[in-house]
Amino acid sequence: MASDQQSGAGGSVSLRDRYQIYPGTPLLDLATPSAQAYHAEDRRDPKKSLFALIARPGHPVRIDAMRALKGSEGPGLMTMVEWGVMHWPLLNRKVMAVVYERPAGGRVMASITSEFKALEESELIRKAVTPIFEALKVLRSHNVTHRAIRPTNMFWATAEKDRIVLGDCVTVLPAFEQPVLIETVESGMCNPAGRGPGSYTDDLYSLGASLAVLVQGRNPVGHLDDDAVLRRKIVQGSFATLIGEGRMSLQTSEILRGTLCDDPLERWTLESLELWLSGRRLSPLLAKFEKRAARALPFAGREYSTARELAVAFCKNWDAVAPVILDGRLELWLRRSLDAKDKADAVSGVLRDAVMTVNEKRTAAFDLMVAKTCMLLDGRAPIRYKSVAAMPDGIGGLLAVAMVEGTEVKFIVETIVREAPKGYFETREAYSPENSIMATLYRDQKGFLERASIGNGIERVLYELNESMPCMSPFTVEDYVLDIRDLLPALNAAAKKVDAKTWPIDRHVAAFIGARANFDMERQMGDLTLPDPDRSVMGMLNLLALIQWRLGQGGLQGLATWVGTLLQPAINSYHSRERRAHIEKEIPRLAREGSLVELSRLLDAPEERAQDAHGFAEARATWASAQREIKDIEEGRVNNTKAIRFAQQLAALISMAIAFVTVVLLLLSRWF
Amino acid sequence: MAKKSGNKATPAKAAKRGGVNRTVLFLTLMALVPFSLPTLLVMFVGLLPTIVAAVVERGNNRYGWVCVGGANFAGLAPWLFNLWFGHHTLSFAIEQVTSVTLLLVAYGTAGAGSLLYLALPPVVATIMASTAQHRSVGLQASQRKLVERWGDGVTTPEELL
Repeated sequence: MASDQQSGAGGSVSLRDRYQIYPGTPLLDLATPSAQAYHAEDRRDPKKSLFALIARPGHPVRIDAMRALKGSEGPGLMTMVEWGVMHWPLLNRKVMAVVYERPAGGRVMASITSEFKALEESELIRKAVTPIFEALKVLRSHNVTHRAIRPTNMFWATAEKDRIVLGDCVTVLPAFEQPVLIETVESGMCNPAGRGPGSYTDDLYSLGASLAVLVQGRNPVGHLDDDAVLRRKIVQGSFATLIGEGRMSLQTSEILRGTLCDDPLERWTLESLELWLSGRRLSPLLAKFEKRAARALPFAGREYSTARELAVAFCKNWDAVAPVILDGRLELWLRRSLDAKDKADAVSGVLRDAVMTVNEKRTAAFDLMVAKTCMLLDGRAPIRYKSVAAMPDGIGGLLAVAMVEGTEVKFIVETIVREAPKGYFETREAYSPENSIMATLYRDQKGFLERASIGNGIERVLYELNESMPCMSPFTVEDYVLDIRDLLPALNAAAKKVDAKTWPIDRHVAAFIGARANFDMERQMGDLTLPDPDRSVMGMLNLLALIQWRLGQGGLQGLATWVGTLLQPAINSYHSRERRAHIEKEIPRLAREGSLVELSRLLDAPEERAQDAHGFAEARATWASAQREIKDIEEGRVNNTKAIRFAQQLAALISMAIAFVTVVLLLLSRWF
Repeated sequence: MAKKSGNKATPAKAAKRGGVNRTVLFLTLMALVPFSLPTLLVMFVGLLPTIVAAVVERGNNRYGWVCVGGANFAGLAPWLFNLWFGHHTLSFAIEQVTSVTLLLVAYGTAGAGSLLYLALPPVVATIMASTAQHRSVGLQASQRKLVERWGDGVTTPEELL
């Protein structure tokens, strides 16, 4: 993807033969929680001030956003000039690097708890809102959300600090580093990795929350933890939580009320913001509060008056929820205290489905019942299943981070296998085609999880749901393989370092191929899972050969040699020893040529196989016939029978001959 | 089932065909009686061992009566020729069949034929046994070649043969 070279100790590494990145010159003030910043230079334009972000190795990045935003310019965007995979000497492996134009004025807010000089309301439009609005327009034109809009990821574009630009949003999953304060209530409920790309209204909310911090010069709820901030947002609304008793002009209040509206359908859009910037007065949005119950429902030691709060409490006390639903308390509370008959009926339906399930599956059914109940209580909330809380488009990211960090994936697997996403889509109030597409996607993932064989399972789901996930196989992890074109060269390089007895296709490689290959390789993948060593090793060879042939990649001497040493079971599947000897002689030659395709042709020639099988069958029949004859000879069975018959025939023949000769002699004696 | 019944029909047909042949032979002989009664008389008396052998022999391979018959006919042939080339009359035929010499020679040669039939099989069996041992060695050699070319998989376990 990118050529690289290192020019000595303390030197630089080259990205795409143009941008020099200096590992010895870190830029701490430009680093993000997930990416280190380093000084960078453009060979063609050394005067240009650049820096590079090195993404955390192995973690998924946003390739789609990189492709879209490269070269995009806007007054509120830090211009991305290049991105690519390159060798990074500090880690001695390949990493994802993104080169940006360097903002001259530094970071706006050092950390989410720090205080800084508040932005004057009179400067807000010129320095912050207008440039960020332009940035959001650029993002929308590329069909990409930013999802990293926060004061700590904003920079002063110039030394005069007259314009704010948004920082990096591509070296990490969407909204992964966002504090709960800056995210919508729904996004704040998610595990950080499971927030998903979201929508432009999410970006507008983050803009509103960031503006609230900017005009106050501090985090107004810095003393509260994330749970308390979320609870306050649910109970009091986001505007009240972020502004509190703060005083501000009507104009500023208007944009903050519009962007911090908790109902995404009523929240300001880019068009609303444009109107506001042009001086139009918009209808003021009043905060909407959750409907409160006449009587609170006691649960887990506290009392809850709104369905949304109760859903949050349910998710935090998962195991205690089922009894509340099963004994009808929740339904009764919804019907009588909250006067939400529709929700009560829906919960009753979910309960009925769970109770009707057979005993063996009842635990799973109850877990799904709790998940669906939470979805019904809070329709805007993410999919919540035990410790999993993710938006439908964020489960892939959550799984990726869990697998990279080696944490438990059991509940994520259960979420998919028990069809929690399906329950989520079923409980939506309005039909959405996107939901249907995602429902199909998750049904496919369930299928992969239910097939445990190589090429399926959790690894396949990982790569299916994360386009930006590099192959995590130990053979390729240091080569940052994002594209299937890079897979065989990476395996070829790994051949020098690995134990030759291991297979180059492990579960990660197989799943990566399955998810990324755009050609049919079902037969080869199926053979790979067979218990017969000869069939499975041929499946492995054929799969690699197919990739080499389809992608036209040559010179894979290391990989061909590696595979060649594993082919003994396939060689032994030929019966003819002459054929085996021929194959064993040919393998080293083809390995030196680096041709997996030729190796495959050598071992998997149908005509040769048919001849071998036919010849072997004939040889078996001949051997068995000979053995039967030998046995008969040894036991004297056939000899006696045959000999007696032959002797009797011979005696009869001699006797008849004597008669004939006698008659002839008598005739001769009479005539002469 | 159909195949089985077909197989059963084959020996039945053979038996029927044998019966027909015998009837035809018998009728032919009866037809010859007015024209060749002297010959039939000499042949009936002279070939009596053959007729007895043909009647009493059992089994699929009925070569015994042929063996006895050939030798028996060879012994009887001089008297038959005397009849055919001399006086082909019933009185001469009766004179011949009452001759001790004819009976001794005809029955003696029949006995020699019988001895030949009994003595030859052991001799041939001994010769063939020697040939079979030679063939067994040849077969084992060809089996070894098959194993060398195709591996041990070419062999079949004893119990499956």
